[in-house]
Amino acid sequence: MTATREIVTDRREEFAFHDDIVYLRETKRGLTRETVEEISRFKEEPDWMFQLRLRAYDHFLQRPMPTWTDGLDRIDFDKIVYYRKPSEREEKSWDDVPEQIKATFERLGIPEAERKFLAGVGAQYDSEVVYHSVREELSKIGVVFMGMDQGLKEYPDIVRKYFGTVVPAEDNKFSALNSAVWSGGSFVYVPKGVEVPLPLQAYFRINGENTGQFERTLIVVDEGAKVHYIEGCTAPIYATDSLHAAVVEVVALPGSKVRYTTIQNWSNDVYNLVTKRAHAYENATVEWIDANTGSRKTVKFPSIYLRGPNATADIISVAVAGKGQHQDTGAKAIHLAPNTRSRIVSKSVSKDGGRATYRGQLKVSPGATNVVASVRCDALMLDDLSRSDTYPYIDIQEDDTTMTHEATVGKVSTDQIFYLMSRGLTENEATNLIVQGFLEVFTKELPMEYAIEFNRLVKLEMEGSLG
Amino acid sequence: MTAGAPTRSPRAPRRAPTELTFVLDEALVESYAAGEPDWLAADRRAALALYGLLPIESNELYTPYIDLRSADLGDVRAYPEPAGAPDSARPGSVPPHGAAAFADFDEDRVGGLVVDDAARAAGVTVETLGGLVGRDPEAARRLLTDGETLPADDRLAQLTRAGWNQGVAIRVPDRVRLDRPIVVRWAAGTPGTALLTRTIVELGDGASASVVEELGPSADAAGAAAGSGQALFTSTLEIRVGRGAELAVASIQDFGPEQIVFQHRRAIIGEESKLHWALAQLGGRLVRSRVDNRLEGDRSTVEQVEIVFGANEQLHDLTSYTRHVGRDTTGNLLSKGVLLDAARTYLKGMITIEKSAVGTDSFLGEFGMNLSRKARSVAIPSLEIDQPDCRRAAHSSSVGPIDEAQLFYLETRGIPPDDARKFIVLGFLEPVVARVPLEAERQRLRELLEAKWDAGIARAAAA
Repeated sequence: MTATREIVTDRREEFAFHDDIVYLRETKRGLTRETVEEISRFKEEPDWMFQLRLRAYDHFLQRPMPTWTDGLDRIDFDKIVYYRKPSEREEKSWDDVPEQIKATFERLGIPEAERKFLAGVGAQYDSEVVYHSVREELSKIGVVFMGMDQGLKEYPDIVRKYFGTVVPAEDNKFSALNSAVWSGGSFVYVPKGVEVPLPLQAYFRINGENTGQFERTLIVVDEGAKVHYIEGCTAPIYATDSLHAAVVEVVALPGSKVRYTTIQNWSNDVYNLVTKRAHAYENATVEWIDANTGSRKTVKFPSIYLRGPNATADIISVAVAGKGQHQDTGAKAIHLAPNTRSRIVSKSVSKDGGRATYRGQLKVSPGATNVVASVRCDALMLDDLSRSDTYPYIDIQEDDTTMTHEATVGKVSTDQIFYLMSRGLTENEATNLIVQGFLEVFTKELPMEYAIEFNRLVKLEMEGSLG
Repeated sequence: MTAGAPTRSPRAPRRAPTELTFVLDEALVESYAAGEPDWLAADRRAALALYGLLPIESNELYTPYIDLRSADLGDVRAYPEPAGAPDSARPGSVPPHGAAAFADFDEDRVGGLVVDDAARAAGVTVETLGGLVGRDPEAARRLLTDGETLPADDRLAQLTRAGWNQGVAIRVPDRVRLDRPIVVRWAAGTPGTALLTRTIVELGDGASASVVEELGPSADAAGAAAGSGQALFTSTLEIRVGRGAELAVASIQDFGPEQIVFQHRRAIIGEESKLHWALAQLGGRLVRSRVDNRLEGDRSTVEQVEIVFGANEQLHDLTSYTRHVGRDTTGNLLSKGVLLDAARTYLKGMITIEKSAVGTDSFLGEFGMNLSRKARSVAIPSLEIDQPDCRRAAHSSSVGPIDEAQLFYLETRGIPPDDARKFIVLGFLEPVVARVPLEAERQRLRELLEAKWDAGIARAAAA
């Protein structure tokens, strides 16, 4: 366990630096049609992807900025560098990774993790996957886990079949932006009947002031297969705002099981606007386990479209909003087929003037008979400077749906604090313990090393507020 | 609600869901204003200006769920000269048994305006707004134009404020406790007409009263042939409850199938006062209603129970805002819907707890029973909270079919399945019925609900 603890220590302070990477190639600041063309040409992409990017760019221009959440008008699209390539090609072996980047990953603990038990590592440094190793046995059983750019080159048929089918470019303004300028992200394909024995893990970082990161992840899990994908983020701290607009598409084919875990901990200057969506076919199960503690503003509603009979959706979403932060998060379950089930659990903590918003949608479409769905959202407010909002949308168009929804908002009970203090804890420790307990529904779903890291993150946040 | 075969209206022309087909004739508004004091004319013109600027739905949370397409009001015209007082040449309408006062409006006529001797002696007044403006312009000005009782951001509320052509003011002085209800009856629905109304209720400090609002089809509307055109009815309930006062309001809406209804109810609740709403929505083609509760005084309470029973292609679009401002205030809100055929309900409920509202207890429940595969039930129960120091801030919502276990239990007691289903559904809606203050009105509401259920079953059997 001492070895695993290394990678889970909270080391955000250490990560809050800026390496002086020599960017080998980057586009000019700002977004024009030429930028999009340049990215695609440089990557030597097939024509269909080139055309898709251009269509997405046109849509991005036409689409108005969403006004249902505030503050997005502060994003200056002209200040952003849309593509930056830190090393010339994707490295297969650790020895080939440039020293400077390797040093960064040393601090992230990747080599340690890899040696010990990681199934595979896709680490994103700025806009390109620079390091990627897949364990022998994964290759042997046919599991593909690589950068999205490489996936497009090596598995063009699978990518073309599924890319943009779960999250079309036209879905929203930021999915259009991502589709136009995407770079990096993971491509995962799990063949029929294969169970991936260990979680696939990817680390992401943003580096470079005003560098937008537009990664694109596509996970295709074939019939009867099973996989757990984990992403966690750290980012350097800068004074000016950074934009992260990712798209994640998950295709869970019949009988498959997919779990996608995220610990989002961007620095508090990042706009994190992410579209995450899964299609669950017959008898498939999709689980989003999603935590948001960082960023200045996160807008993210992991969604599951239940497209086949007997599919199951499970979403756990937690958010911690501290000073200057707005976590506009939630979940969506869209029932399109009979006998489908969904469960949404959301927990949020707001403090020091932070704002936590739950926004969710539960929809039962005509034809989706015998649906069972539940939504539970709880919010904890630690002071009266903070704010908590709950906006669930429930739309039922069948006569035999069983749906329940519960939401509560409250503060930490003084009785509980008093009890814990009578047992020798300080007020700070007591509050910390109660908050950790409140979030346990999330933490207990994590692999142990992540659970420890997450609890440490929460503790750090709490100390920041109470110390 | 007239029973019968489901009537599918002819395919409406394609319109945006936000398009309001009703045209408020400015010349007509000016003709109302011509006979009125300057302050009232100015108020109408101010509302007209807002009406021209505002969107139909100013809350962006709710814009995905607005649909005015079934309102075909292009040929509907507001009554030009509604009566300001009962016609002395006609026999006055008879008050319901047990009522302390009765105001009866039938299209553009005033059918009767009665306050019994005991209530009159206590200083209770019930008069038309036209009558009040003439008798006591200062009071009328305060009640009609203080800008507090109609939402300034709501286009349809401003429509009524600009173009109202009938209204009633009910005032109960300080410390008067009225144990029998005041009944206000509105009959409307003559094809092609619009009746735009305001109802004002003011309770003094320490007063208590109950008001029953009956909304139903006029004789003309009930006799009109199917397809002879829609009618528009808009109404307000503008409520001020003083300190330590208690008001119960029950409303039974049972308009005909061609009626378009826009309602605004807004209450400002003072210190240690209580307001109880019992609202039943049965009729109408399209009903768009908004309730605003403002718990201004410390320890004030609102209890709101609302039921919808939709059938055919009815759309009931009901929004409720509850804002906690004072300390230790209590909000308890419950909405229930039963849907047959292709009926739709949109239940939008927002609880806001302001930073000043320490010690709030607020609960919102929205429960639905979809009894048809074509029905659609939307619930958006929201919370916006700036003060965590509350006793409770929660909402709960559920949608489900008729409970099989309940059905089975009733069947084991020898009740035939059809009756058992009826009992369960009517029982589901009973919480509102039980809160209607007058026995005769309770019984009438039960009969309306039962008739609507029976008609639905008959349609299902015929289909």
